[in-house]
Amino acid sequence: MAKTQLSAQEKKTLRSMFWNSGLVFSGFNMVKMEGNAFCCTMAPAIDELYTDPEERKKALVRHNNFFNTHAVLFSFIAGLAYAMEKEKMTKGTVDDDTIENIKVALMGPTAGIGDAFFFNCVRVIAAGIAIGLCSEGNLLGVLLFVLLYGGSQVIARWYLLRVGYTMGTSFIDSVFSTGLMNSLTKAAAILGLSMVGAMVASMVTVPLAWTIDVGQTSVDVLSVVDSIMPGILSIVLVFGMVSLIKKGVRPVTLVLGILVISIVLAFFGIF
Amino acid sequence: MIQSALLVTLAWLIINGVDRLMSWQTFARPIVTAAITGLVLGDLTTGVVMGASLEAIFMGISAIGGSVPADACSASIIAVAMTILTGADTETGLALAMPIGTLMSTVGEMYKPVLASLAPYWERLAGTGNMKSFRIQTILCGLFIDRLPQTIILFLAIAFGVEGLEVVINGLPTWVLSGLAAASSMMTGVGFAILTSMIWDKEIGGFFFVGFVLSKYLGLAQLPIAIIMAVVAIMYFYNDKKLLDAKNANAAAAASAGNGEEDFF
Repeated sequence: MAKTQLSAQEKKTLRSMFWNSGLVFSGFNMVKMEGNAFCCTMAPAIDELYTDPEERKKALVRHNNFFNTHAVLFSFIAGLAYAMEKEKMTKGTVDDDTIENIKVALMGPTAGIGDAFFFNCVRVIAAGIAIGLCSEGNLLGVLLFVLLYGGSQVIARWYLLRVGYTMGTSFIDSVFSTGLMNSLTKAAAILGLSMVGAMVASMVTVPLAWTIDVGQTSVDVLSVVDSIMPGILSIVLVFGMVSLIKKGVRPVTLVLGILVISIVLAFFGIF
Repeated sequence: MIQSALLVTLAWLIINGVDRLMSWQTFARPIVTAAITGLVLGDLTTGVVMGASLEAIFMGISAIGGSVPADACSASIIAVAMTILTGADTETGLALAMPIGTLMSTVGEMYKPVLASLAPYWERLAGTGNMKSFRIQTILCGLFIDRLPQTIILFLAIAFGVEGLEVVINGLPTWVLSGLAAASSMMTGVGFAILTSMIWDKEIGGFFFVGFVLSKYLGLAQLPIAIIMAVVAIMYFYNDKKLLDAKNANAAAAASAGNGEEDFF
């Protein structure tokens, strides 16, 4: 990859994005997960690129969507999203769906890499060194741990943001020059949709605890339903909500509806 | 004890606050948490030494995929605080730490639906385009609101002892707890539903189910699924490229043929 020279404006935006990318765990919730932090991180880029206030608002809401990955590789995807937004605004070759698809496609794999590298590798090494020093009451152990485990994450977060941006720019340029943007969008959507499917399977559960007494025996409803297809209730739930969203039902209604229904059903022993 | 409880709560807020501004999850590791708690309570050495054993205990408990079996940070704070404040030995402090860690996780689960119901508020705030206010509120939420019940529990546990808290939690009817837990696991579905409705496309919609089956039936982790599906996506991409190339070649051939005819006449 050729070394790209960044302009002063790009450097300023990337620096601002870096500080914002420290907020990954702030405002975290089960619906948006890291969406708030992603929106904050993208804000400097959006402010640089968008001049139309209405389009700017739409872009901010788009980047407030569900997002979840490892806190460090988070910045790589943010850098990539910055590059894609720039292509969208300057050349009009990338559309909103492509940006969203590529974000979604990268969430799962980057989370896996980040956890494996930082949590299971760097942390264990840093803790190993620090525990030895700390058990003798040496404060240096704590400082070393913060430097090794914390410091490496901060440095990686900064470089990954830049790498994401420069890689994104050169990659999109080469794809556009061959006129394959449409194929790329479809390919990204394939990866994105299958990752959503995989995440729905592992993260969304409908925990039925309902048993029906039939004469002497009792039937566990969840196991009957799961014998049709494991996790079919999660699919029904998600696609039920997709059709409600397409009909214009707002997410707030869905969230509150789930809360009320869950507690009512739990009262009757169904959950 | 109230004064010490306030100090410990302050330590908790500092530890979590720094982690939430740096997104590095470093201060909440027992080895740092214990040292900071010791520092705040005026006995740094005990904190550092206890941090070493606490880190070793919690080392194996990983938080992959966002589920934390026991809250290492609050458990460490309470263990160190109890040891320094009551003069108990390290072992007793550690014994107290475990049930509190579990209690904190339970309360954290119960609090999730409350935070999730804020999602529409955030979306509306992003829609106003006032990013300064969005950012400040996100930071304040991260510092104080995200873990409010845990903060209160921690304060009460140090100020009034651990036993009373367990009685209160055990007194809640179980259907409230299971209802909230069910709501929290289903609310994640709202985010996915929004995503799906955005990127859904009839031609490739089936791939949702491929991902689902790979995860649910074959029990694959995210990374292997991503690799398999990336190969499929790349194949699709190159197939499309070939079609496009062929179409372009045809068009070029037709165009040159057309030119030839014109020349002829």
